[in-house]
Amino acid sequence: MFKLKVADAKLLRDMATAISILVDEATFKIDPEGLKLRAMDPSRVAMIDFEWPKTIFEEYVCAEPTRMCINISELLKLLKRASKDEAVELALDEKTARLEIKITGKYTRNFTMPTLEASEEEVPTPKITFNVKAKTTTQGLSQAIEDAQLVSDHVRVEADAEKLVLNAAGDLMGAMITLQKGSDALLDLEVKENSKATFSLSYLSEIIKAASATSDIATLEFSSDMPIRIDFQQTKEGKLTFFLAPRIETE
Amino acid sequence: MRETDKLAVLTNPSLSEAAELMVKAFAQRKTLIVAGNCRVRYVGRANSTLEPGERLLIIKADGSLLVHRPVGYEPVNWQPQGSVFHVHAREGTLEVHAVRQKPRENVSVVFSSVQMVSALSLDDSGEFLLYASEEDMHRAILLKPTLLEEGFTPISYEKKVEPGFVDVYGVDKAGRLVVVEVKRKTAGKEAALQLAKYIDAVKAKANREIRGVLAAPSLGKDVQRLLETLGLEFKALDPKKCAAVLKKAGTAKLETFFREKSQ
Repeated sequence: MFKLKVADAKLLRDMATAISILVDEATFKIDPEGLKLRAMDPSRVAMIDFEWPKTIFEEYVCAEPTRMCINISELLKLLKRASKDEAVELALDEKTARLEIKITGKYTRNFTMPTLEASEEEVPTPKITFNVKAKTTTQGLSQAIEDAQLVSDHVRVEADAEKLVLNAAGDLMGAMITLQKGSDALLDLEVKENSKATFSLSYLSEIIKAASATSDIATLEFSSDMPIRIDFQQTKEGKLTFFLAPRIETE
Repeated sequence: MRETDKLAVLTNPSLSEAAELMVKAFAQRKTLIVAGNCRVRYVGRANSTLEPGERLLIIKADGSLLVHRPVGYEPVNWQPQGSVFHVHAREGTLEVHAVRQKPRENVSVVFSSVQMVSALSLDDSGEFLLYASEEDMHRAILLKPTLLEEGFTPISYEKKVEPGFVDVYGVDKAGRLVVVEVKRKTAGKEAALQLAKYIDAVKAKANREIRGVLAAPSLGKDVQRLLETLGLEFKALDPKKCAAVLKKAGTAKLETFFREKSQ
């Protein structure tokens, strides 16, 4: 038996959007304490690590741990039908293996969708010693990424004690975006060692765009030529973290 | 039957003889080719069945499997490298099962008769080189304009002018506009005429001297004369050299970082 209810559909919708950036078929691990998802995108370049404790929900019932796999973009289509203040209930019918989605507001909608075979894959956490930790506003970060996207499809992220720099070099144009320590966009910067690594802008921008709906503050952690970890601080409890592998240039 | 270390071939073997050679080939990580009448069943992310017919089964040294019908370049069923194989001959059939763990996928090939089995030790350490595409050649010129000529400065590429797109567009050291048409293969008359059209289109807008350069590995028959007539130039541009200019960049896989690494 698994059932949850949120008072505001937006919470679920934003989270489903963030997950759908990387995963089509999302396997949630559900236990009495809450739900978790950890998965890599099909090209195995990026990873999402997501947790929601039961305290986030208006109602949360889970008798025993289980796994539930659903097509997240199909769920998202249904959730998009709910307006901002409408309540959403999800309930798993274990007999029919279908998920029931009930949206209540001005009127009541009951949708059902099939669950899929749950993935058994346990995705580990990348083991990285991070030399840079930068706390930014998600708004500032997403603006900076949009700037870089004007000229290139990848960006070099660099940090020293004073600043975080995004360096994008396209075929013809270039961009250098500087976030100075203590500025409105860069709230905090800790650097153990000057570092730089290059990342795909399409992944970065999609992740940041989707996650900024759920968060105002993003913490970037990286080291030279290592994956970047981006943690989006959630308004309530819960965790939304992404890892993205770097681009490596080979001669 | 011939059997050496490099090659073993059985023609019209019994199913048990075929099975015996196949088991041996798996153990020695050989490349295996089997021709015969078979049906195929796949169970995994989807399910499929292929009714009986004469086909080629190829199992490579790395454990990848391909079932090819007599026509078409793509295999009808396949299994990626690292599959585990089981072979049984029983009751008039020879069954080959290829199992992949993650995701769980199973391809079963059941032969009712086998025309040929060969087990090969193939030695192949050659490198595969893919030469630049036309677009890569544009990018190479942008990155290293001297590929075209000394003093050339690119301004834009794939620039829209009325009949189409100019490949690369720039200025030479004398300040003249240069319109470059890039061809990956021997440039024919059409390429020269196309370039001439672009030049006319640009001339209509820009009030300065314009050069037209056709950059290609070589020129087709009589194209040089046409170029001269049209007042255009030819520049030999080798796709291989272009490829060398472009750095290969790829995104690493996240799995690479699951184990702790010293930095």
